[in-house]
Amino acid sequence: MTASIGRGLVLLSLLCATAGTVAAFAAFWKKRADLTTLAVRAAYGFSASMALANLWMVAALLRNDFSISYVAQVGSVSLPTWVKVVSLWSSLEGSILFWGGVLAIYIAIATRSLNAAHGWARPAAIGAWLACATFFGFLIAGPAQPFATVVDVPADGPGPNPLLQNHVLMAIHPPFLYGGYVGMTIPFGLALAALLSGGLSPTLLGTIRTSLLAPWTFLTCAVVLGGWWAYEVLGWGGYWAWDPVENASLLPWLTATAALHSAILTERRGVLKGWTMSLVIASFLLTILGTFMTRSGIFNSVHSFTQSSIGPTILVFLGIATLVSVLLLGFRVDLLKPDGELDRGASRDTAFLAQNLLFVLFTFTVLIGTVFPLIVEAVRNVQMSVGRPYFDRMTIPIGALLLFVMGVGPALPWGSTSREDLKRRLLPPLGLGTAALAVSLAFGVRSPWTLVTLFFAGYAAHVTIFEAFRPARNRMKFRKDGFFKAFSQDLFGPGLRRLAAYIAHAGAVTAFIAIAVSSTRATSVERSLKQGEEMTLGRYTLTFEGIESTEETNRTSLIARIGVRKDGTAVEPLRPMMNQYRSQRESIGTPAVRTGLVEDLYLSAMSIDPDGQTVGLLVLINPLVSWLWIATVVMAVGGLLALLSSGRVGRTIEAARDLQAEPVR
Amino acid sequence: MNKRVLAIGLAVTLPLLGLLLVNIDRNPTEIASPLIRRPAPDVLLQKLEGDGSLQVSSLRGRPAVVNFWATWCIPCVQEHASLTSGARSNPDVSFLGVVYEDSAENARGFLATRGSAYPSYVDEDGRAAIAFGVYGVPETFFIDARGTVVDKFVGPLDERTLREKLAAARR
Repeated sequence: MTASIGRGLVLLSLLCATAGTVAAFAAFWKKRADLTTLAVRAAYGFSASMALANLWMVAALLRNDFSISYVAQVGSVSLPTWVKVVSLWSSLEGSILFWGGVLAIYIAIATRSLNAAHGWARPAAIGAWLACATFFGFLIAGPAQPFATVVDVPADGPGPNPLLQNHVLMAIHPPFLYGGYVGMTIPFGLALAALLSGGLSPTLLGTIRTSLLAPWTFLTCAVVLGGWWAYEVLGWGGYWAWDPVENASLLPWLTATAALHSAILTERRGVLKGWTMSLVIASFLLTILGTFMTRSGIFNSVHSFTQSSIGPTILVFLGIATLVSVLLLGFRVDLLKPDGELDRGASRDTAFLAQNLLFVLFTFTVLIGTVFPLIVEAVRNVQMSVGRPYFDRMTIPIGALLLFVMGVGPALPWGSTSREDLKRRLLPPLGLGTAALAVSLAFGVRSPWTLVTLFFAGYAAHVTIFEAFRPARNRMKFRKDGFFKAFSQDLFGPGLRRLAAYIAHAGAVTAFIAIAVSSTRATSVERSLKQGEEMTLGRYTLTFEGIESTEETNRTSLIARIGVRKDGTAVEPLRPMMNQYRSQRESIGTPAVRTGLVEDLYLSAMSIDPDGQTVGLLVLINPLVSWLWIATVVMAVGGLLALLSSGRVGRTIEAARDLQAEPVR
Repeated sequence: MNKRVLAIGLAVTLPLLGLLLVNIDRNPTEIASPLIRRPAPDVLLQKLEGDGSLQVSSLRGRPAVVNFWATWCIPCVQEHASLTSGARSNPDVSFLGVVYEDSAENARGFLATRGSAYPSYVDEDGRAAIAFGVYGVPETFFIDARGTVVDKFVGPLDERTLREKLAAARR
């Protein structure tokens, strides 16, 4: 009975999505407002029934209702309440239902935010969103079917994948990822609407930018949360391995970041409309590609779901969405005529263009590295994998150039300027760049790419801080305002958008520094220790004090207690573990990390032998890793503030333009 | 129409889509076994229930399915139903289970509660597992009537896969 209510809600949402798609496109072709109203209602109908289906599943998981197949598959009476709730996305079928739930929220908000000013792009966009919703409704109702009825209702279930229970990050990483992945549907629909209606009004462009910011912010967090999870759980000491599924989350982030920037160029100069639309569309298609990569099981990854019939269905959708997008671009892009011209000198226009090309190059580099094993296997029938050396060699120079552009770009003016002005803008930041270089050399950094990166980072940091406070400084200078009054005008006025961008840049500069230093300056040693034995690495002296063990319902763990002294002073001992889950043969280690702002002490137990009282330890000192997490929070705050500002900007676009115009010097 | 945009768009996306399409059946966990197209290792197995033993070479004349399993292995529990019904509906094929790194007592208990349609054997000191190059459980080997290993499957078998692999062993 409860299963059929769930199925009914899914079918209702599928019905609403299908009917709404038809109504929306009919409204668009026939220019009929009454059909638009119908499509809007269908969109809300989809959102409501799909959201209810998700709540119904959560309720079933909480009530241990094993008559529903998904609950029987992942639920268990003995689970803590939080695990029961997050079980919604712990396994394939539920995660697709959850996708539908996130899409429901996005579509409801996006439908509400469209108004008469969007013209006939409004029904076209709703049609595109509901077409995607139709596909996911079908996927949930057909191939995935989490609400199948169980005939022999079991008394208890096995509980979700143990890795999900191994760390709380697995509970929060997927919602962020879905917030990013699913949210790309909204700008995608709007871009298709722009192509279909043959025009990109400032209103529509503003809405596209806003609708990109929300998934961009989620995805920024998701990419790094994935890395953080790997760092805290997998125990090899790093946070990024260029694993196919990690790459899958990075790819749409790269194109979305490029799109956010090219949208500024389009907004300001009225150029590159088709290019901006292509980047928006690519971001969406890459999220579907990423979903296919994780769900089809054709890539070997620590993160992927197992092989399933859902993969081919997603591939069909990817194929259709790609072909529709490419054909629409090919046939309609010339209708998006430029309203202005790009400055081709040493100007911010050029910097934006360079940034965009670098991001696209980055995307292709990662994409080719990810699918290359498939090419080799298809052609030569041998298994191979593309590892770190390729990705590092290719992406480090691109990353360094991006950092260079992030430093020089904001320092350059819009449009051309005199040589003297250029010197005045570009030379002062060399100070902080040189200082960064000197400090790095003093700390013994010798690797050329790290030095280059840190030099550019110093330069970019100067420009970012200077630009972030420039409007406030000008107000202090010309209006004699106090700092707080001058700065709060940015914070609470339309200038927030500009400030938000520099906050995001500050986060990015910090991330660059953290990545460059942590990936080249880590020290590590592997040692086997007997009980009571000591070892030293850097400022730390480690003593293997003994073995403890714990028994939980789902696992038994062996724990090595390691006493830690830093510069001779005893600090909190660390406890790396080996966990043996009931359902798996291989044991899973849990590393122990002492997190610090300067460096992390990272201990991973490779083996724990209770009979011989020995432990095999991997010990790493990872410098500045914490700053990557901090940088991500800063970038996300930048994204959120930009989102917050977009409403204001929409109302006062002219005012914002005046404020952003170059002040008198 | 912008032919250049169309051409570039198709040139970038079509090969990628094609590549994914030809790889749709790829399973990266499937590890090629050096045993394929070679005679099955001729090991001696002790019966799990009752006395008696089996020489693998004595299976010749009929296709055979050799499934390595253990009671601690969840995928083995999952595939048990498919294997049982597969053995019932294919009386011309010899099915046999080999208990891998598990006690005979556990295995007997498991079969007593879950039922069985074919005999299982104990692999003392893991000699059979070593001879077959078993990497983990479950692993299933498909042997044709001439005693040649024709295929190997890693992970839980479902009924469809079992049917397809059996068809190859019958050829």
